[in-house]
Amino acid sequence: MKEISFKNDVLPLKDKLFRLALRITLNREEAEDIVQDTLMKLWNQRDEWSAIQNMETYSMTICRNLSLDAIEKKERLNISLDETVHDRPDTSRTQDEELMKQQQLNTVMRIIGQLPEKQRTIMQLRDIEGKSYQEIADIMSINVSDVKVNLFRARQKVLGSVNKES
Amino acid sequence: MNYQYIEQLLDRYWNCETTLEEEQILRSFFSQADVPNHLKQYAAFFAYEATQKEEKLGEDFDKRILAMTEEKQAVEAKTVKLSTRIAPFFKAAAVVAVVLTIGNIAERALQNNAVNSTTVNVTDTYTKKEDITAKIKIIDHTRSEAMAKTDSLKTQTPAINQDPLIIE
Repeated sequence: MKEISFKNDVLPLKDKLFRLALRITLNREEAEDIVQDTLMKLWNQRDEWSAIQNMETYSMTICRNLSLDAIEKKERLNISLDETVHDRPDTSRTQDEELMKQQQLNTVMRIIGQLPEKQRTIMQLRDIEGKSYQEIADIMSINVSDVKVNLFRARQKVLGSVNKES
Repeated sequence: MNYQYIEQLLDRYWNCETTLEEEQILRSFFSQADVPNHLKQYAAFFAYEATQKEEKLGEDFDKRILAMTEEKQAVEAKTVKLSTRIAPFFKAAAVVAVVLTIGNIAERALQNNAVNSTTVNVTDTYTKKEDITAKIKIIDHTRSEAMAKTDSLKTQTPAINQDPLIIE
């Protein structure tokens, strides 16, 4: 079996982990901390890497669990999740277009942000990370039919909201 | 332009019947500039998904993580170093112990040898003394023999003394 290198095989997963943590926590700084914790946890387990079948799935499971812990802690403290969410503006367009685009993106972001965590995470893994149903099931430790049901509900909600907004 | 294929794909997308490849086709379609009006409402959603893929961590993050892992490695290396640093002392102690043991054994052996050799010397001297006594006895014996001879000679001396010259 190929030897796993932290720098070449584990560290490059950071952006995927970051997006997943961001999708769950909806907070950039917190997501960054979670990715750091995930990577350090993986680093500390480096003696057991050979026993891990799929490093990406494994690291995403750790990242999701840490993210869930973080939002649970926040919920206990009664802090709103989406208060610090902000998207970076795309400067390539003119101001009007940019503004409209930004408004539309904010609307979509709000719609997705309102989905339950499970649906939000499944949607993230499927649409943004391009994961198969089986991979999503592995990452979230649920079965494939559960993934499909939750993805269906998420997409139907998004469709309903998009049609309502327009 | 006919957008039937895209519309079909969209329907299947909302019902979770599309494959990953078909979903990618939809994203590519909605990322282009001229999306027909009746589909524009969905463009923002797919555009949003595209922007989310751009979400990345900064370069400094890598440096920080690598520094943390190196730091941990360095700490571990230190612990190894510590034991290796102590090892020479143990080696030195072991060498000293061996040298002392050998020295002690050697000293004892030498002492034993010295005792043995003196005994031998004593015995030697003793035998020599015996030899000497034996020799002395022999000498004594020969001397007494010689003396006895001289005595017998002495008794004969008057005859010798009876030299015509002396008599004269």
